[in-house]
Amino acid sequence: MFRRRRSAEDFAEEIKAHLELEAADLEGEGLNRDEARRMARCEFGNVGAAQEHFYLKDRWVGLDRLLRNVRFGMRSLRQSPGFAVTAILTLALGIGANTAVFSVMNAVLLRSLPVYDPDRLVYLRTSNPPRGTGTIDSNKTFSYPVYAALRKQSSGLSPVMAFVPLSGSKVAVRYGAQPEEAEGDMVSGTFFSGLGVSLPLGRGFSEEDETRHAPLAVLSYNYWTRRFVRNPEVLGKTLYVNGVAMTIVGVAAEGFEGVEGGGSTDFWIPLQSRRELNAWGNPPDEGKLYDANPTWWCLQMIGRLAPGVTRAQAVAQMQPVFQRSAYVGLGSPMEGEKPPVLSLADAKSFPGYDQQYGNPLRMLMAMVGLVLLIAMANVVMLLMARNAARQREFSLRQALGAGRGELLRQLLTEGLILVTAGGVLAWGFAEMATRVLGRWAQIETSLAPDSTVLLFTLAVLAIAGILFGLAPLRVALAGGAELALKTSAATSNTNAGKSRAGRVIVALQMALCVVLLVGGGLLVRTMRNLENIPLGIRVDGLVVFGVKPNIPSIPEGVAFYRNLMDKLRVLPGVESVTVSEERLGSGWSDNSDMRVDGKLPEVANGSSRTVRSNVVGPEFFGTLGVPVLAGRDFSNSDTATSPHVGIINEQFAQRFLPNQNPLGHTIGTEDGHYTMTIVGVVKDHKYRSIDEEPIPMAWYMYAQIPMVGPMHVEMRVKGEPMAILPSARKVVQELDPNLPLIRPMTQREQFDTTISQHVLFARLAEFFGFLAVALVATGLYGMLAYRVSMRTAEIGVRMAVGARRGQVVWMILKDSLLLTMVGVVMGVPLAMLVGRALASSLYGVKPLDSLSYLLAVAGVAVVAVVASAVPAGRAASVDPMRALRTE
Amino acid sequence: MATQENNDDRIALLQGTLDLLILKTLVLGPCHGQGVARLIQRQSEDVFLVDHGSLYVALQRLEDKRWISAKWGVSENNRKARFYSLTPKGRAQLVEKASEWRRLTRAMGLILDSNSGMQGEEA
Repeated sequence: MFRRRRSAEDFAEEIKAHLELEAADLEGEGLNRDEARRMARCEFGNVGAAQEHFYLKDRWVGLDRLLRNVRFGMRSLRQSPGFAVTAILTLALGIGANTAVFSVMNAVLLRSLPVYDPDRLVYLRTSNPPRGTGTIDSNKTFSYPVYAALRKQSSGLSPVMAFVPLSGSKVAVRYGAQPEEAEGDMVSGTFFSGLGVSLPLGRGFSEEDETRHAPLAVLSYNYWTRRFVRNPEVLGKTLYVNGVAMTIVGVAAEGFEGVEGGGSTDFWIPLQSRRELNAWGNPPDEGKLYDANPTWWCLQMIGRLAPGVTRAQAVAQMQPVFQRSAYVGLGSPMEGEKPPVLSLADAKSFPGYDQQYGNPLRMLMAMVGLVLLIAMANVVMLLMARNAARQREFSLRQALGAGRGELLRQLLTEGLILVTAGGVLAWGFAEMATRVLGRWAQIETSLAPDSTVLLFTLAVLAIAGILFGLAPLRVALAGGAELALKTSAATSNTNAGKSRAGRVIVALQMALCVVLLVGGGLLVRTMRNLENIPLGIRVDGLVVFGVKPNIPSIPEGVAFYRNLMDKLRVLPGVESVTVSEERLGSGWSDNSDMRVDGKLPEVANGSSRTVRSNVVGPEFFGTLGVPVLAGRDFSNSDTATSPHVGIINEQFAQRFLPNQNPLGHTIGTEDGHYTMTIVGVVKDHKYRSIDEEPIPMAWYMYAQIPMVGPMHVEMRVKGEPMAILPSARKVVQELDPNLPLIRPMTQREQFDTTISQHVLFARLAEFFGFLAVALVATGLYGMLAYRVSMRTAEIGVRMAVGARRGQVVWMILKDSLLLTMVGVVMGVPLAMLVGRALASSLYGVKPLDSLSYLLAVAGVAVVAVVASAVPAGRAASVDPMRALRTE
Repeated sequence: MATQENNDDRIALLQGTLDLLILKTLVLGPCHGQGVARLIQRQSEDVFLVDHGSLYVALQRLEDKRWISAKWGVSENNRKARFYSLTPKGRAQLVEKASEWRRLTRAMGLILDSNSGMQGEEA
């Protein structure tokens, strides 16, 4: 195409030479000089045309034509700005919503961990941890002896890496003067090298760092950016973690945020062995830290399959080692006990994400897909309507010799302009929407659109572009060249075929709209149900925050909290204060079996013996507003030296002490080391999350148990709960200047996080439902308005021969109501299918909830009537004389 | 104005003829564009009035097909001009096109000169 051997200048030069030669010849034949020149030019004909011909010849004609088409398309779009703006905005919304949801889906479900060869990485999983052990997660966590044994085997997994959070949430860190919170993990020395995470700055850890528990820290790129503004000088500086000085030695690669789903780790330190840095922030159990405690299964592990080893081989090779090491410190397995079994799980992307976000995301994707369909249908319809109105122009162009190919190119170009403009806006919209989505879903992983997302969007745009070029072509060509010769607007524009296509599209849109509205309705009702679930707790005025003091001994710990509560209670506006080990509504719970009156209780077949327990402070139930049904609340007079007391809930009493007064019975830990007397029974209330079912619970008094660690402070205050925080912070820092308030929030907010996903999902469904309704309304309005304008002459005639205005209005309304009916008839069965698919995401609503269906149908009908009212009114106000005269 | 397709058809026919004439002219030796135009005009006894614009486009086309080659030189009256000469490929084309043309004219002649039969039938 570009094999240009000759420049246009050279060609012009030749023509100039020709003209001179010709003039010279003519002069020779007797003409004077000027005459000869004029004559030569005359004879040559059109110099410009020849040059243009040469210019177009073997240049990339297509590109040139495209540019001309683009210029023409821009001009013609500028002539109908309303159409252009509507089409572009519709596209931007439709495609933007899809891009946003897809980019979340991509980040959460499709993208791999940003590590070297993620396909060879596996998480270690187990089933049946041995009896008598405590776990963080009975499937995912292991004891230190298991880690120590597995890392030594080297043929199956090489290496085996361990990682464990320093806290269930964030830990206190200090860089410079200000105490803050950050999320940190302790990791094995092979962590960075084994995962293949590069460190753009500094270094990772070595196995030696792990063995000598080196006080070093590596920052995540994100944290380095957020907190240290990418200052390379941080290397060698000190980061205090729970008051322990760590030297910053490196920054991990951008995008690497740890190997746990949902959270983003801010920093890593080698596995430590000191009280302040126990795993999960727990206080030492019987004076033992995680690495000396074989009964605490708290470490998570990830490994890389050794070259040439399959998963099955690796498991087979490690199983005996695992099963031996699982019983270190426990003696031999009890009779009939199932042995723990090791397995490996895909670590390509975050585990649990799929479980947690998979279904909602896929539903959302389907939903925005429908919205996109509706949006595209709208644009197609707009284009068809517009191009039908341009039929005259097309006919004229055909009559003047434009080929079908030429018209198609023109239409494709116009589609392309719309799609390009829509696409650019959509990308901006998607970037914004993704950020909002990430915040609502509390996904801290980076959701920034990557090349996969870009490809997805480009594919959608390409399809849209082609569709927008082809769809209107038929209408555009329908008139043919001879239409240009016709003079009557009425005869030239009424064409049954094209309006039938429009009607089919509108009916389909209505059907999709019904589906979206039903889906949205079900989810919104789910959300309302969840929000209105009684918690059994009076949450107004309750504020909660965590503290993580450095506790050298149990009596000092007890004294610290006693002191803290006393100081907080006297703050103005504070009604009552208490503490608890586990925060309500955080999703955490401490589960175990419990002895009742000295033995493990008999339970009826099928029901569980599991009891949730929590360690709390005095006036706990009074502060939370949970009614005490029998007996009493904990009080300050329950001390280490007074008789040990416990409180249970209704469920506990019903299941383990049925038909008797529970007060005075004793309960205790599974191993029998600790017992207490029941002094109170409280009403069931929500503990882990809003949507849980109540199960047996027991509470211990913190001052009486041999373990004191970080606690959460619950305060009931008058007025705005959050307003108390500055003075509370002052109290805490007077006791220890290193202590930040950990995740301070109202108790309601804390509970709301447990349904935030449902809420997010419902809000989005609601939003997309409304978007769909708005799109269908504009589509319907556009189609009806167009039809009315095409039928102006006909309506004029009808009115001239005696049709009343009411009849004309009814004629138009009838049309759209008919379409609505067709849409509803198609939409309801579809919605039932969708409802069934949604069933697992619903709470307190049946998939066939009649109210949701009624509202959806009514909504679509209202939209139909409103959208047709304007064109119907316009039709009714057609002046018969004017309408006929314009003919 | 006719449709584009029709336009193309017409140009094709004209081009075919013009190409043949150009090739024939160049058999005599290298010549510049203006010379080719003059020669055609004179040899056809002014029946063919060559459109100079089309001529140069045709020359360029033949050059692109490598039937003729071109280089800048100096004309008989000392002016700069672009001289065209026939390539072997062009010479072969000339033979082929000329025989085609002769067969065509002969066929045309046969039909146009024997119109008595038709007259007879009509009569």
